[in-house]
Amino acid sequence: MRLRTLLAVAAAKAALTACHLSGRPGSSLPGRAALKIDPHIIAPLAADIRRGIIVTCGTNGKTTTNNLLCSMLEAQGYRVVSNRLGANMLEGVAAAFATSAKRPLGYLFAKGPLGYLVDAKRPLGYLDADFACLEIDEASAARVLQDLRPDYMILTGLFRDQLDRYGEIDLTMKALEKAILEAPEMTLIINGDDPLTAYLAKNSAHRVVSFGVSERVANEVDEIREARFCENCGAPLRYDFYHFSQLGVYRCPSCGFCRPEIDYDASGVRLSPQLSFDVKEPGTAPVKISAPMTGFYNVYNILAVFSVLRQMNLPTDKFNEVLRSFRPQFGRGEVFHVGANGGQRVLLNLAKNPAGFGQNISAMLQDRSPKDLIIVINDNAQDGRDVSWLWDVDFDRLADETIRSITVSGLRAPDMQLRLKYVEIESDRAPDVESAIDRLLAAGCENLYVLVNYTALYEAHRYLEGMQK
Amino acid sequence: MNNDELQTDSIRSKYTDKQPHSGLYRLNIIHLYPDLLNLYGDRGNIQCMRMRCKWRGIDANVIECSLDDHPELAVADIVLLGGGSDREQQIVCTRLQKIRRDLRDYVEDGGSLLAICGGYQLLGHYYDTADGRMEGLSLVDLYTEQGSPRLISNIVLRNESLPDFLPCEIVGFENHGGRTYIGSNKPFGKVLYGHGNNGKDACEGVLYRNVIGTYLHGPLLPKNPHVCDLLLQRALYRKYGVSLTDFPALDDSLEREANRAVVTRFHSPLAP
Repeated sequence: MRLRTLLAVAAAKAALTACHLSGRPGSSLPGRAALKIDPHIIAPLAADIRRGIIVTCGTNGKTTTNNLLCSMLEAQGYRVVSNRLGANMLEGVAAAFATSAKRPLGYLFAKGPLGYLVDAKRPLGYLDADFACLEIDEASAARVLQDLRPDYMILTGLFRDQLDRYGEIDLTMKALEKAILEAPEMTLIINGDDPLTAYLAKNSAHRVVSFGVSERVANEVDEIREARFCENCGAPLRYDFYHFSQLGVYRCPSCGFCRPEIDYDASGVRLSPQLSFDVKEPGTAPVKISAPMTGFYNVYNILAVFSVLRQMNLPTDKFNEVLRSFRPQFGRGEVFHVGANGGQRVLLNLAKNPAGFGQNISAMLQDRSPKDLIIVINDNAQDGRDVSWLWDVDFDRLADETIRSITVSGLRAPDMQLRLKYVEIESDRAPDVESAIDRLLAAGCENLYVLVNYTALYEAHRYLEGMQK
Repeated sequence: MNNDELQTDSIRSKYTDKQPHSGLYRLNIIHLYPDLLNLYGDRGNIQCMRMRCKWRGIDANVIECSLDDHPELAVADIVLLGGGSDREQQIVCTRLQKIRRDLRDYVEDGGSLLAICGGYQLLGHYYDTADGRMEGLSLVDLYTEQGSPRLISNIVLRNESLPDFLPCEIVGFENHGGRTYIGSNKPFGKVLYGHGNNGKDACEGVLYRNVIGTYLHGPLLPKNPHVCDLLLQRALYRKYGVSLTDFPALDDSLEREANRAVVTRFHSPLAP
């Protein structure tokens, strides 16, 4: 191990301790500290991973897919390094590696000073792990992949997201294209229902495996779609049907670009009372999958994980068992039971872009019991400073008889209230998410949905977790 | 539920039932190429015009024009040209040349046109990018050159030159690589916070006859109801000779609050 890497690991460990002492999760800062000392700390540590490195990219579904994959691998007894909290830029990935590495002193003691000198080659960073599962921000992917050579890259799909950070979605595509070129030997595992992702994969020389849903499931909703036109030739794409946003079964009548052959195809999809479907894989019997989740988008998250496990020839015998016990984390459809005897149910979900918000609304409306809704919209740097995407969400769908009230909060609460006004929906205002939750629970609400964008998530999560205890 | 605050019959109650003149007045609003130019919530501008007409009892007939349709500009009262990605803009640009003469006649006849971002750039003579020149419509004497970095910011403008404007700032969000130069034309506003046309001359957008060209998203109209009403006013006057003040005033307290929130946060008049 290089001295520089040793020092960087020590700095990351110290920073992590400091974070924990001040009550923060420390998902990024230790990485920043480590990178200051060793800008390429990821490379030597990644070389210690014994069995495989899987990265997940795409604007929606990264955290759930990555965390589910970790749980699957851990259920098989593997040791996994990951950025589960969703810190997915360079610092977050560096933090995941550096804070999981063995303490430098421990390493010295284990090897002895002489052993350390002799053993200049392996293990490079003394990272004891079978797999690394990392979600990576699209804009950071090219830089991260310079130091990290994944075996698989999962592409969940590309939707309009934080345009002020990424510019237009074309720029996100370019960033990913560059990242994919950095690792020519990896296999791409793609959402074949997304023409943007399929185009990225088609244009690369990589081995490609795809997952998708070939049958029509739910009625389409008229919403903003990103890829109405062929990425390859510019002609309008023809769709047999849409699932949501631009996902569906499509082809270009002009140049022949089309949805790829689907390797892992879900059929018999049911969305309520919980998700269930069969996965068909060429040459094998269909596998029945059921999960205590809602939301069509989770079909893709589950399919992605299933595909990568099958590709790595790992057992899937515990798949449903793990799904049953899988607890969505950090506000990705996370359920809290609060109040007397836990009789009040609160569902917290991240809703940060039009596609995600639309899917959240669909999932919420599948629950036909009365409910109250809190929406929190911030515009901090991580959220994206530009909130005009709120006008790309079909909020008129909230005029549903099961929704009793809507309370709005956050830095952009007036924008959100105004958005609702222009679909003639009334809302209340609360100064912060805590008081909004308090107010509704005190009023006896038994079914509360809290939809928040990025920076409001931590606040809401911490508060609800505290209430549950 | 026992909390009075939350005891509404329906979350839909307050904003409906405001149609005093129903059927008398009708505005044709042509939305050019929403299938291509719909970036950054631009369809919120359509929704804003639609609702502010509805609440006054004016019939808003929104015609969505796709790439293959021929827009009937002869019957248009308001035209919206939105923004798209560079790739989409290139597709539109070629198509727009075919209706260039119709658009020019419409503009010269006093027709209202709102052009946002990419649509704004297309109003001019050309947009020079690293990949070559994109020919514009030459409806307004202006041109655009690609620059770096992209100008991305919340933005606050003030316009004191228009008589029918309320004395209120215009707020939005800008995100553009192009630098636009408007020559001797009047700007849409003076930049109080943000970058504007080119980051240099403190001007944003352009005003020419009843054309408004601007980089402002947000979308523009909901948080700037006075700009929306200006478009409606001009269209109503051109078509029926009536003024918007002949219609019942709307309660714009929420709109004003959202506008003020941006102004005070990014441009405090008390700041040095």
